[in-house]
Amino acid sequence: MSDDSAPPPLTADFRLLVQDVVDYAIFMLDPTGHIMSWNAGAERIKGYAPDEIIGKHFSVFYPPEDNAADKPALELEQAIAERRLEDEGWRIRKDGTRFWANVVITALYDDRGVLRGFGKVTRDLTDRRAADQALFESEERFRLLVQGVLDYAIFMLDPQGYVVSWNGGAERINGYAPEEIIGKHFSVFYPPEDNAADKPARELEQAIAEGRLADEGWRIRKDGTRFWANIVITALYDDHGSLRGFGKVTRDLTDRRAAEQALDERRRLLSHLVHAQELERRRIAWDVHDDSIQSMVAVGMRLQLLAGRLPEEHRAMLDKLDDAVRATISRLRTLVFQLRPTSIDRHGLVATLNDFLRDVVTGWGVVPVLHHEELTEEPPTETAITIFRICQEAITNVRKHAGAGSLDIYLSTMDGGTMTRVVDDGIGFSQPETPPEPMEHFGLIEMRERAETAGGWWTVVGSPEKGTTVEFWLPSASHGAGSGAEVPS
Amino acid sequence: MSAIRTVLRVLISDDDPMIREALREVLEAEPDIEVVGAAEDADEAIALAGQYAPAVVVLDVRMPGGGGPRAAREILRHRPDTRILAFSAYDDSGTVAEMMRAGSVEYLLKGASNIEIVAAVRRAGTT
Repeated sequence: MSDDSAPPPLTADFRLLVQDVVDYAIFMLDPTGHIMSWNAGAERIKGYAPDEIIGKHFSVFYPPEDNAADKPALELEQAIAERRLEDEGWRIRKDGTRFWANVVITALYDDRGVLRGFGKVTRDLTDRRAADQALFESEERFRLLVQGVLDYAIFMLDPQGYVVSWNGGAERINGYAPEEIIGKHFSVFYPPEDNAADKPARELEQAIAEGRLADEGWRIRKDGTRFWANIVITALYDDHGSLRGFGKVTRDLTDRRAAEQALDERRRLLSHLVHAQELERRRIAWDVHDDSIQSMVAVGMRLQLLAGRLPEEHRAMLDKLDDAVRATISRLRTLVFQLRPTSIDRHGLVATLNDFLRDVVTGWGVVPVLHHEELTEEPPTETAITIFRICQEAITNVRKHAGAGSLDIYLSTMDGGTMTRVVDDGIGFSQPETPPEPMEHFGLIEMRERAETAGGWWTVVGSPEKGTTVEFWLPSASHGAGSGAEVPS
Repeated sequence: MSAIRTVLRVLISDDDPMIREALREVLEAEPDIEVVGAAEDADEAIALAGQYAPAVVVLDVRMPGGGGPRAAREILRHRPDTRILAFSAYDDSGTVAEMMRAGSVEYLLKGASNIEIVAAVRRAGTT
């Protein structure tokens, strides 16, 4: 920049370029640190106009604590020693506020090797620093979150399966403190039989092949006891697609498993009970049918024979006896039907329900209709009996409470089972102001228990406008006790 | 009924001895009906039908040896002219349909009066 060599046009352009850059403060210091030039970026970042700052010492940009430590001078010395210096730190604007700056100071020499001054480029990184800080805090929060979770063991494995991180839940569930387990292979969590079968390695392979792997099984705590675990292993890849390790999340399901087993056991017992009850009912039904009814039929026939042989004056009495026998036969038939609709074993659900509606319900003054067009698959006998029983109970409720004029039963094959709806147009299901009688309540519970024991569901909805709908679904696959529905021949 | 000239030969079959005996007495009380045999299961019914060639066979539905349906089919296979009258305590439509498919001409429910029974046997014998 001496007078005897006019700057070439390129230098002028370059000066303009520097002058107009607003994202960087670019300015020169003389060898003692006084400001010699000032660009738009410097004005924007630091707040000084050129005439306010040129000639001042650059230490005005440093906070008091840095000046007390003689940092500006030290930085220039270092820039001289190493030609350049890069620093990040707080700087002060004209208005006294601070900003986080990235600073590069370059020592500038002329052709003869004489120090002509320093180039200084400053960037305002306040925003980036805030973002970095936010990221750091977010990661820290996330770390604390993972660390603090106690219900799940959450930890990382390296690509070979060695434990590299450990959270509070892992410590609680597996029993190891972090320093005891980090660096150990995760196969220590598996029981011997799984290790003998090379299960840990296979699980990692599968996690790599499919991205993740979920498993449920026994795992071993530090103290050697077992717990029933639900685990998920996720393969973790970096941005370049190389395997960085595995995330492993483990839940202790021991309690839940015990509860499920207790429920299963209860269901199994209930199922046995229902099954035993059906067997007993069937036995009684056959007995009444084959013995009591036949005997009464024979007695009736003989009474009529006797009536024909006795003098006229005894006829009226014998006729009464005969009527009593017939009435008894009829009642016994109804009893058999209620105990066990014997035809369900041989003729299926639709025929039996139709008989029931015709023989029993029609007498109540209700017009029953069975809709079975959508029943494309007749349910197995045991299921059919449960459906029939629930229908029987629901229909009995209609008689007792609904005051209905119509009764529609809809059967349809659905979701691998049978959906049944019993719909009446009566006064609707018991409203709160008329609490159900204990026995009625028991009837509802019994219907629901029957359905649930058979592995299905049951529900009832009702309103005075729409009557009552009992709706239930039972699976066709047998649940719990076996069918055992052989028909005695 | 006034035109009856021959005796109606009837075979009865029921596994319940009380029913068998009562039925025999009811039918034999009629001068125009002769009970030629009383079987207690399907096999015996088939055998006696072959032996006596009755005009009417009164069959219980549920009996040992395949029950009424099998007995009816077998008897009709050998003697298609035989008239089968089902006599059963079952009133469900499935059982009724089963016996009718097996060839019964009529289905009479146990508990019917003696007069109805005799009338049904006579109807079967004249169809």
